[in-house]
Formats: sequence, structure tokens, C-alpha cells
Amino acid sequence: MNGKQTAKYVIRLGVTLFLITAIVAAALACVNSITAPRIAAETERKTQEAIEKVLPGGGKALEPGSYDDQGGLVTQVYASDTGYAVKVAPSGFDGTITMMVGVGLDGKVLGISIISHTETAGLGAVAASDTPDGESFRQQFKGLSGTLSVKKDGGTVDQLSGATVTSRGVTRGVNAALACVAGLG
Amino acid sequence: MNVKKQFTEGLLTKNPVTVQLLGMCSTLAITTSLFNGLGMGLSVTIILICSNVMISALRKVIPSQIRIAAYIVIIAGFVTIVDLLLQAFLPALSQSLGVFIPLIVVNCIILGRAEAFASKNTVGASALDGLFQGIGYTVALVVMCVIRELLGSGTFGGGLLNGGLGYQIIPDPYPAMKLVMPVGGFLTLGMVIAFSQWLMARLERNAKKKEAAK
Repeated sequence: MNGKQTAKYVIRLGVTLFLITAIVAAALACVNSITAPRIAAETERKTQEAIEKVLPGGGKALEPGSYDDQGGLVTQVYASDTGYAVKVAPSGFDGTITMMVGVGLDGKVLGISIISHTETAGLGAVAASDTPDGESFRQQFKGLSGTLSVKKDGGTVDQLSGATVTSRGVTRGVNAALACVAGLG
Repeated sequence: MNVKKQFTEGLLTKNPVTVQLLGMCSTLAITTSLFNGLGMGLSVTIILICSNVMISALRKVIPSQIRIAAYIVIIAGFVTIVDLLLQAFLPALSQSLGVFIPLIVVNCIILGRAEAFASKNTVGASALDGLFQGIGYTVALVVMCVIRELLGSGTFGGGLLNGGLGYQIIPDPYPAMKLVMPVGGFLTLGMVIAFSQWLMARLERNAKKKEAAK
């Protein structure tokens, strides 16, 4: 093959790959235009559901920057006349736990609700499940305030058996929410 | 085209999980409930059929020097489509499978079948290969899910039956929780591979006996 032919061949390779990539990109754009609004609506619905669980009646989102985000743990704060719903994202055993913490005007926890997580099924995942164990794990935070820690670390929070790291993560999230609300005055 | 041969290969003698040992990461990670196993198996099967068909159709167009790059782009495209569709229409499954859906892109089963089969065979045969390999993968996953879920959490059909809770078969304090953890995945996979080897050896012996009797 002489130089000219080689150049031609290389260009052909490039053009073929470019065409395949362009077609795939176009197909993805089509699918995305159908799914994007549904995914956004689903995320919004989940968030609203979580707010409603911890702060009945819901609340208005505060401007980012108007609160202390506790080193990035707090991602959103919703306020109402009765308290705050704080969206926090502490890390658990496996990835980030996204959860909503309701805090009353008296600085006590109103309730917590886990929006999404990737904890181990049967262990850490119990924290977010609808099982009696999961319910009682989440319920115990109600009415607590200050800086919390799990029993294993000398605190008061009953950790889930076999899921201490997840329990610590959730507790860290609650602490961040409490500190954030305390900072709001 | 030999449908019967392709079927036994996908299901048993060349099963992607128990014989080819491909796609181990997802196999070990997500097989903790029936819902996960079926969801992952179906997703992989659909992607495998689509990518096999597409790659087989383009096998004379794609120059061999850039074939791997082209395959990856095509596979990634299908995986992303499935990922987006799951997020939009089956959010519970998408949540449960998490990162393992996008990771199907690098699941060796898909690229392995593209390279070993689809790039050398007709579109029809490649579609069947995708279907049977996908079924083989799904069956292996479901077997592992049922074992791990039953012995690890004591339930059957978690996330799917009985309003998502599954049926509690072994009462609460008794299930061996270790089985739903990574170590249980390795143990179960080893047992399943051993069983499939035993089954194949037995089938082969029987076939030989039959031949000798003739």
C-alpha cells in the first residue's frame, strides 16, 4: 500500500466510526427526549413524598447559600411554619444515602425518610425498607436533638444488626440536618 | 442454523455464567432477590439480542481494525437506552439494580458474543444466540437469587411477589445473613458451577452409554 492509499484507508476507518457514533448519538437523543421528563417527574415526586413524610404540609425550598451545608452533606432545605425538611446525602456502607430529615422549630427531629440508597440487601437496606425493623430504626430518631451517635460508638441510636456502617451514615445525616437547622436560628 | 445446539449451548454446555465465567461482577453483586435476578437477566437478554443483531448486520461494513471500538459504541448505546427506559418506566427496578445497569456496557458476555459469534454469523443466528445466551444468563442468575434469598433472607420472590415483601419461608432469626453478602455470592456461585459441571458430566456419560449400547 502506498502513502495515498494508506491515508484513504485511515480516513475510511475514521468516517465509519464517526457514522456509527453519530447514529447511536441520534438514537440516544430520541430516547432521552421521551424519558427525561418522566425521570425528572419521578425524582420530583419522590422528593415531595419524602418531604410530606417528615414535614406534613410540605415546605418552600430555601436558596442555596442561605444555609450552612455542613461540608456538602446538606443538599437542599425546605422551610414551612412548623419546621424544616432537610435533604442530606451522607455516605453509607456502599455509596450515598439520600434522605430527608424533618426538624421542628424546637430543633428536634420530626422524622426521617430515605429517598434512595445502594446499601446491601437484607442488611443496610433494612434502614429504608417498610419492614418492622426498618420502621422502628427510623422512628427512633423522632424527638432527638443535639449530636447523635450509634450505641456502638457510645451513643443512643440503636444500630441495625449487621449494618453499623449504614446506621452511622444515617446518624451522620441526621446530625448534619440538626446542625444546619440550628445554624438557621 | 442449528437451533437445538444453540439452545443447549446457551443454557448448559456454554452457559455464560457457569462455563464461560463471563459477567461475574453483576452475577455476584445483584443476585440477592428474585426481582433483581429477573430484571437484570431480562435487561441483559434484550441488550444482547439487539447488539448481536446490529453487529451481525454491520459485520461486513465495520473494518476489523476498529471493530472493538464500533462494538463498544453500539453496546453502550443499547445499554443507555435500556437504562433510561428503566429509570423512566420501572424506577423501582432501576433503583434496585443501581450501577449494574450502566455496567452492562463492560459486561464481557455482550462483547464476548459480539466478537465470538455475531461478527461471524448471520443476523438470524445471532439473534437466536443472543436470546439463548441471555436465557442461560437469566437462568443462572435466578438459580443464584433463589438460593441466596431463601437461605440468606428466608424469603422467596422478594421485590416481586406478595406486594414486594416476598413470602417468608424461613422465620426471622434463622436465615444465614452471610449469604446475601459478597462472600455468600462466591460460595453460591461455586456450588452452582459445580452442579452444572456434574450435570454435564452425567449427561455426557449417559450419551456415551447409549452409543455403546448401539
